[in-house]
Amino acid sequence: MQRVNSDLTKDLKKFGVQEWNECFHCGNCTAICPLTEQGSLFPRQAIRQIQLGLKDSLYRNLDPWMCYYCGECTETCPRDANPAELMMSLRRYLTSIYDWTGMSRRFYTSNYWEFGAVGAIAALIIALFVVFLPPAAEMFNNPQAFINDQGGVMINSMVAGVGEARFIRLIELGDWAMAVVVAFFLITNIFNMYYKVILKDKTLKVPIIIYITEFWSLIYNFTTQAKFSKCEKKTYWGGHLLLMTGYSIMFALVVAFLPLFQTETVFPWYHWQRILGYYSTFGILFFLAYVVIGRIQRSDFKFEFSHSTDWLFIIMLGLTTITGILVHIFRVTGLPVATYITYIIHLAILFPMILIEVPFSKWSHLAYRPFAIYFFRLKKAVVAKQYETKLAPAA
Amino acid sequence: MNNNRTQVKICPDTLVIGGGIAGIQAALEIANGNLNVFLVEKTGTIGGHMAMFDKTFPTLDCAACILTPKMVEVGQHSNIELLTYCEVMDVKGQPGNFKVTILKKAKRVNVETCIGCGTCAEKCPKNVPSEFDAFTTLRKAIYIPFPQAVPNKYLIDADYCIYVENGKCGACVKACLVQDCINLDEKDEEIEITVGNIIVATGFKTFDASRVSQFGYGKFPNVLTSLEFERLVNAAGPTEGNIKFRSQDKKGNWVFSNDSEEPERIAIIHCVGSRDENYHKYCSKVCCMYSLKLAHLVKEKLPDADVSEYYIDMRAFGKGYEEFYQRIEEEGVNIIRGKTAKIEQRNGNLLIRSEDIENARLIERDVDMVILSVGIEPGENAAELSKMLGISTDNDGWFSSPDHLLDPVATGSEGITIAGVCEGPKDIPDTVVQASAAASRVLQRILTGVSSQ
Repeated sequence: MQRVNSDLTKDLKKFGVQEWNECFHCGNCTAICPLTEQGSLFPRQAIRQIQLGLKDSLYRNLDPWMCYYCGECTETCPRDANPAELMMSLRRYLTSIYDWTGMSRRFYTSNYWEFGAVGAIAALIIALFVVFLPPAAEMFNNPQAFINDQGGVMINSMVAGVGEARFIRLIELGDWAMAVVVAFFLITNIFNMYYKVILKDKTLKVPIIIYITEFWSLIYNFTTQAKFSKCEKKTYWGGHLLLMTGYSIMFALVVAFLPLFQTETVFPWYHWQRILGYYSTFGILFFLAYVVIGRIQRSDFKFEFSHSTDWLFIIMLGLTTITGILVHIFRVTGLPVATYITYIIHLAILFPMILIEVPFSKWSHLAYRPFAIYFFRLKKAVVAKQYETKLAPAA
Repeated sequence: MNNNRTQVKICPDTLVIGGGIAGIQAALEIANGNLNVFLVEKTGTIGGHMAMFDKTFPTLDCAACILTPKMVEVGQHSNIELLTYCEVMDVKGQPGNFKVTILKKAKRVNVETCIGCGTCAEKCPKNVPSEFDAFTTLRKAIYIPFPQAVPNKYLIDADYCIYVENGKCGACVKACLVQDCINLDEKDEEIEITVGNIIVATGFKTFDASRVSQFGYGKFPNVLTSLEFERLVNAAGPTEGNIKFRSQDKKGNWVFSNDSEEPERIAIIHCVGSRDENYHKYCSKVCCMYSLKLAHLVKEKLPDADVSEYYIDMRAFGKGYEEFYQRIEEEGVNIIRGKTAKIEQRNGNLLIRSEDIENARLIERDVDMVILSVGIEPGENAAELSKMLGISTDNDGWFSSPDHLLDPVATGSEGITIAGVCEGPKDIPDTVVQASAAASRVLQRILTGVSSQ
């Protein structure tokens, strides 16, 4: 038995726009959605749970992660209840539920916390550079000394008293520290999600073998977003895939392969390092432009409502990309001072973006979505097995 | 007494606009009180939508059987002047003394001398989709709307007549057995009548199902509207009442014919265009019950057919209606709560996708034929008429009374009353009640004899 929580709706309102009381349960949304299947009847089931205040059911509901916001349900909803936006709001809500630290809830419900945290991390990055990695004085007097044979800036030698090899190691160390922090929170949050969805459900006993046999779905859905591709509007999926692959490549380049990416030598444009960098930049910018134009023009109703965190995410990703491009331009054209300054700004935006968005905010969906599909398949496999054993003749 | 008020003697003649069941009922009520009525009907016959229905709910009376005697009574009534194929163009004057201009569209056939033999139509070379059969059959350009039409006389549809178009043809004139009966050059004329009261009973039109693109009406030949199915299942319809697939004839036209197969799985979808913010917010009130009736008619003709209904809420509100709902359920019709979201074509079948809300199940099943229970909406000329008569409409375009609760037949204009579906969705019994109420208001005014201004 679970208790009815009458404050649930009040709490949910903080995470976005909701018109759940409009719904008269005709089932149109569930039936029009190309992604629904037996056992996964969204969005209507979640709306019912909200209307009834069934907090526990909502906590273990995986449906919001199955929705990719194509918006067909909202377009055809006979009550203008906007189920698609409701699923979006629920994704924010569930992100805050999975996050055991409580930071996610603060970031989603308070702009002071969100902007404060971004500002604090950015200030810390700038302070670290100013204190420990200030620019070499020579850079202002004799910039020519920092230019290499190809006419580009020697990016790893800009700091006074720190050699090329040591500088790249320090930055790499910073990247790894960031990656470890992010991974720690994200993995513990995923475990919390697993606890709420699978472990807490006493009716569910998942045999180890099912975890193994279903594991492929986790990898498959993470890399291809196959479920997303079943939505009617393929361009959105394509654009998103471009963003995802672009971002993943860039993340790998700056975290795992920094010495190969941030080199003193400026390689010709067809070098793999530059090609991959350009692909990533294009992928991110393309999708970003699509989303920004959409949100400004409100071309699609999915862009009609923008939570403040949506904008912050877009702005930070945009600024990271633009400063990254500027670093590249200044470096290639041989402007050491400009390179140094934009490099710091680039990192001062990139670090808070990753540290806040990935474990606590919008970007956590990169893990929650494939894991939700994985958990859903586990549940389904267990139910199918129970069904088999019940029907099987006694040996 | 207020000296500024003048007393106008009320003209004892009444105008009824619309010849459906509401107009027929109102006209008969007044005419049987020995007063004169002008009954104006836009089409070539009275009868309206009710004449098109196969059966009525919940008693399953044959609609034509109970309606046609009333139609004949109107046609033969000495106190009723029946003005079919006519339209009200203008209303002037004041309550008690309206001057009404009526356009008599040229029928091009002399109503007095036509004997209704049909020889002309046999020779007419022009085929036109029949309005009466919801465009499921063909009629000729010279036609009688349906065999029991009142008046039972032919008329020429000028929109399709070859002679009207280019002056060459005249096959009907050559075939006609009566001398000078057909005059292809007859022109429309306007007449003016004086009446004391007006009853507006202009009815409705059905919702255009092609607006709901996800149902594929107009694209999938065996997705029908309920009105089309009423005609299909009717003994006087395109297949003599056999439920058959719509298929292509030799010329490639989609028609219902007895050469086609019978469908085995039929789905009926409620609330098409009703209770929907995208179309009409209101409930059309009649669809639940007529859908149940259609399910019954399918079961009656095809007892082994798999019939399913998809509804949002089942509104069985009237006398005997809930019992009727239970009866249909007992007849083996699958009645499923959940609005069907889309219809697709798959391997020659129609695939419907719906949520079975009471069993938390997704329904994806193949059927052979889908009936869309379309809602009803104000007639095409309702807005124009409301301006002409100075009566108000509500947000949905229905004529509305200033006191909907206690005086539903009244309008803002004295001497003008409203009756039937033009006032808002209602079924036949309610329509008849309101028509009689409107007639009673008119009789009261005529008996008073004067109208104070």
